[in-house]
Amino acid sequence: MMKVEAIIQPSRFESVKDALREAGIEGMTVTEVRGHGRQKGHTEVYRGREYTVDLLPKIKLEVVLPDKLVDLVVDTILKTAKTGKIGDGKIFLTRVDEAIRIRNEERGESAL
Amino acid sequence: MSGPATPLSVLASRCEEERACIRKAFENRAGAKKTLLALCELADRNLQQVFKDVLKLHDSKAEGFSLLALGGYGRRMLFPYSDLDILFLFANEKVEEEFRPLISEFSRTMWDLGFRVSSAGRTIEECKRIEEDNAEFHLALLDRRFLDGDQGLFEKLDQRILPPSERQARPFLFLQLHRLTKERLTRYGNTIFHLEPNVKEAPGGLRDYQAAYWLRQILGDRKDLRGSSAAEEQLAADAVEFLSSIRCFLHYSNARNDNALTYELQAMAAVKSLGVTDGIERSAAEWMRIYFRHARTLNRQLLRYLDQKMAGPMSFKERFFSAARSVAKTEPPASGDFAVRGGQIEILNQQALSDRRVMYSLFVEAARTGTPLAPQAERSISYIMTHSELPVLNQAIEWDTLKEILAGDFPGVALRPMHRLGLLMEILPEFRVIDSLVVRDFYHRYTVDEHSLRTIEHLQELADPPDERGVSFAPLWRTLDRRDLLIFSLLLHDAGKGMPIENHVTGSLEALESAAERLELSPEEQAEVHFLIEQHLAMSATVQRRDIFDPAIVSGFAENVGTLERLQRLTLLTYADIHAVNPEALTPWKAEMLWQLFVATSNHFSRTLDRNRLHASDEKSMLEQVRALAKGANTADIERFLEGFPRRYLAVHSAAEIARHFAMYQKLSVSSLQTELTPERHGFSLTLLTADRPALFSTISGVLASWGMNIIKADAFANAAGVVLDTFHFSDLHRTLELNPTETQRFMKSLHDVLQNKAALEPLLESRDSASRARPPKIAVQTRLSFDDSASAHSTLLEVIVQDRPGLLYDMGSALARLACNIEVALIDTEGQKAIDVFYLTSQGKKLTAQKQDLLREVLQGTLG
Repeated sequence: MMKVEAIIQPSRFESVKDALREAGIEGMTVTEVRGHGRQKGHTEVYRGREYTVDLLPKIKLEVVLPDKLVDLVVDTILKTAKTGKIGDGKIFLTRVDEAIRIRNEERGESAL
Repeated sequence: MSGPATPLSVLASRCEEERACIRKAFENRAGAKKTLLALCELADRNLQQVFKDVLKLHDSKAEGFSLLALGGYGRRMLFPYSDLDILFLFANEKVEEEFRPLISEFSRTMWDLGFRVSSAGRTIEECKRIEEDNAEFHLALLDRRFLDGDQGLFEKLDQRILPPSERQARPFLFLQLHRLTKERLTRYGNTIFHLEPNVKEAPGGLRDYQAAYWLRQILGDRKDLRGSSAAEEQLAADAVEFLSSIRCFLHYSNARNDNALTYELQAMAAVKSLGVTDGIERSAAEWMRIYFRHARTLNRQLLRYLDQKMAGPMSFKERFFSAARSVAKTEPPASGDFAVRGGQIEILNQQALSDRRVMYSLFVEAARTGTPLAPQAERSISYIMTHSELPVLNQAIEWDTLKEILAGDFPGVALRPMHRLGLLMEILPEFRVIDSLVVRDFYHRYTVDEHSLRTIEHLQELADPPDERGVSFAPLWRTLDRRDLLIFSLLLHDAGKGMPIENHVTGSLEALESAAERLELSPEEQAEVHFLIEQHLAMSATVQRRDIFDPAIVSGFAENVGTLERLQRLTLLTYADIHAVNPEALTPWKAEMLWQLFVATSNHFSRTLDRNRLHASDEKSMLEQVRALAKGANTADIERFLEGFPRRYLAVHSAAEIARHFAMYQKLSVSSLQTELTPERHGFSLTLLTADRPALFSTISGVLASWGMNIIKADAFANAAGVVLDTFHFSDLHRTLELNPTETQRFMKSLHDVLQNKAALEPLLESRDSASRARPPKIAVQTRLSFDDSASAHSTLLEVIVQDRPGLLYDMGSALARLACNIEVALIDTEGQKAIDVFYLTSQGKKLTAQKQDLLREVLQGTLG
């Protein structure tokens, strides 16, 4: 099993979510996050006050999957989250040892 | 261990059978009261049996040892799967020691029979002492009931020991119960209107009834305490029966003590017509309205007791603040129908309430000052509202009166009781469809009416934001024009959710149309509210689904919104709408995104002002409207007048205002200077039309400053033919014009004389100068000047942020005039003590050179400090 963790633009989230659903991925965890990679923030001045956005708003999306679905999910995220501009985000893959469904203590891929 | 005298298995199966019978009877509509009593009697019988058996087994007699039921069980309200609250009472510690092994066996046996025993043990001496960290125990003890054992010991406790100590402990118990109840109500957002309410703990739940019952016992013999009427008692009893039925149903359905009335269980309860005997089939939403009606009864009863104070002399501090409050706020209106006392609005003349105008004036006062209505005042109004046979005068509210309520600093303080009392639905029947309406939604926590009222309360809080999410938005709220339109939009924005219609926005707009017609909103007011309702999801959607850091997105969004004023209202509406979904919905992340979009769009407006110019011939509909209002004027003349004004001119002025401006324009051939002075809510507005000339803006500012007028907002536009239209909104600091009507003429003459070079400005200014500049500012604002050459094709944009003071605009305008800078467009605004001014400048028809910008910066810094 793998955990796919994608940091994407908030504006792309709805499209990514819909595309994953169409690809048969039903569950995911979504978090509102802030951060930056190579894309630095910017400063906006409003009524004499400077608003520096050095940590940009992003969405973090986490999905744990059987190995066979990882490529499909990564491709789907790449296709739908990409705008070609700096700040599109990143995808991280991590191996997951075990998954346990709390309700019935089912384990392994069937718990996903 | 050896078993009790009666075999446990026999007792257990008998218990199960009886439980099943009670459940069956409940399902066959035996009623909650009977069910609870039957469960209580079953528990009593088994408990007595087990107690007897355990004593027998230990060859003991219950001397100096008794068994008491407490809390709900003590009151004979035992719900399925609920705990049995029991007290083991001992004559002394020695007896306690002796019976300890017996107690643990007793509890185990009860558990095996399917009873969840929650027990405490005290000696009679311990019961005298107040356990300050365990108020719950003392409250539960108020419901004590003898079960078994040494009856003499119980009677000693009940009649000799507890009465004096409970009397003494009343202030403590009252304070603790008050604290526990307030904490509980706060945990549930102080509202009964949850979409999936907890029927025990949430406001309006059975815990409210229990707390009111205890408060009544604690406050008991107070002579000043107003009791409930027989009708109110009956309503409360019906509510307890209804909610108890639901709680039994929930416990049976979940097979545990779970009190959440979920959507699924609401639907099942509605199908069963649970708690309802009229035989009418209802949808889950309609059945929930019955729930909320009963919950409101219990919550109102509790709040009435909670509002009581324990008798006792006021401290010096309390007396001082009470006196200070009455000095500050007790200004009964001339009619003397109400007054503010102890921080609450009280009614002095009950009869006057039959005139709705008097009733509305209470709410105008509440919205203006934030002073709530006294409970007694609410009861008086409630009585009138629920007795339709009573005569009513002036029932229809006028838009001007409603506007006053909506535009106040505390609209929520008025609107919430108006809704509670049914008055809001009387004046705004369009609100009725969302009254107590449950709409299933994963995110929303409250009913639609509650959500709508919360939006308004979240805005009201911005006067002093309770957390960081509101800090940026607070100045927007404080300085917003026409708050009434925003609040009116919020009242109706979700009205469509109560209509059988696919898109609720369409329904909400229908509601607006009917309300606007009845209340006689002007077409401009209706258009503004229409825009806000129609677009109430647009900003949230842009924040969440678009890249708000993309200038093209910001530009598109700005085009949709149109003006800065609309943007401010839409931003506040969006802030409030997200905030009121549930307490966690407006995350700091979302608040920041919303603010970023506001800032980017606001800056877009001020930087593109000069770029978007009007081509009058394209504005067919506007031309037609103005022509109609200008009584058949020539379209070509209107086109000539409008041609070349910044597009903002059209966006911020109604057709009627444009027609008035056009009429002034037509008179320019008679007199080269046309002016119009109009009183406004917070001062006056001066509109002036003339041919452009150097230093015009600064001269007008100078005349206003010399009369002690403080300019709050202004804009200066010029059309293609060089006709300037300046509008100044100012406050009359010394109330010169308001208190001396003849001074208006002198003021206008002075303005005309200076502008037509018949009088000099300087002598007028000198007389004002020294006094007005001496006052130190309350908040220091750092001066900031910034130039932008990219915003416009032919002007240089200058933004000035500076400490506001009388005469400031004159000083700035004079400096610009001295350096031969022509103001093409100006936007003047203030935010508290901060002046925010944007000028589009040219010099000899071109942008300012870098040297000129440096020189201007230096001069302005010298002038502004």
